[in-house]
Amino acid sequence: MNRMPENEPNAKWDAALDKMFAEFRAATPDPEPGADFMPGLWRRIEARRANNLWIFRRLAQVCVGATLALTLLMGAVLIPRLEKAPAYTTSYVDELAADHPNTYVDVFTGDIK
Amino acid sequence: MLVDFELIERARSGDDGAFNQVVQAYRKRILGTIARLIGRPEDVEDVGQEVFLRLYYSLDQLRTSEVFEPWLYRLTVNAAYDYLRRQRRRQESRMSDLSEQQVMLADAAAGGKRSEEEQRRTRIRERVEALLGKVSEEDRILLMLKEVEGLSLKELEKIYRVNENALKVRLFRARQRVLKAFEAESESEAGSAGRTNAGAK
Repeated sequence: MNRMPENEPNAKWDAALDKMFAEFRAATPDPEPGADFMPGLWRRIEARRANNLWIFRRLAQVCVGATLALTLLMGAVLIPRLEKAPAYTTSYVDELAADHPNTYVDVFTGDIK
Repeated sequence: MLVDFELIERARSGDDGAFNQVVQAYRKRILGTIARLIGRPEDVEDVGQEVFLRLYYSLDQLRTSEVFEPWLYRLTVNAAYDYLRRQRRRQESRMSDLSEQQVMLADAAAGGKRSEEEQRRTRIRERVEALLGKVSEEDRILLMLKEVEGLSLKELEKIYRVNENALKVRLFRARQRVLKAFEAESESEAGSAGRTNAGAK
């Protein structure tokens, strides 16, 4: 690591710290994994997998339940309204005629009068 | 790389046998790094299993096999960081359970059974632990990776996903904080040793 110029007086402490880290590295060799390391790891992987499956299943159940409830609610609210909705009593042409009572089309010439 | 890219590709595609081989190739190195990062030998395997568990469930997010090692180190750093944060929270309650005298008696009893070399190693470990206990988990892990694990700036860039300049600044600041604690500790030790010698005369 690059040392900044203002830290030059600290060279003694820097060197001592480096030495201590080197001694620490030598004092802590890589440990041998225990006999249960791999079986333990696979147990945890399986447990997480089962847990994820459970969560997914639960989420799916909640989604299905919510969809069903929403469908029923929409059915309960909308169906009676649709049934009561007023039917059209007049045609489009009748409505136009009512809007323009003094206008008519001359069937012989095609003019609008 | 301790394994070839083809094996990692197979593990990525869901081959449990290939994943097993990858774990067997890296577990010793990763356990060593964890041991030095967390400083509690009894929890090393537990944290190591957590690292490989996270690896198993995140391998599909790995872009290419070339970045596998930085990826594994990132998972290791994150697991160690999570452990140290949990540990710091627990430490206060644990320390209040034992009086200082009980702790010293237990240490002395354990020390009597060890060889001189082992005692020297234990002293070094405890000294580094005490020193790094005075700085944040971030500083501790960054310095350990650089100074003890011997990772290069390029490797650290890939692990931390920051550019070289930002990393240099972080490293410099972390080292300055540790140096400050180291100086204070060394001076107080020298002071107490001086007082002991004067008292003996």
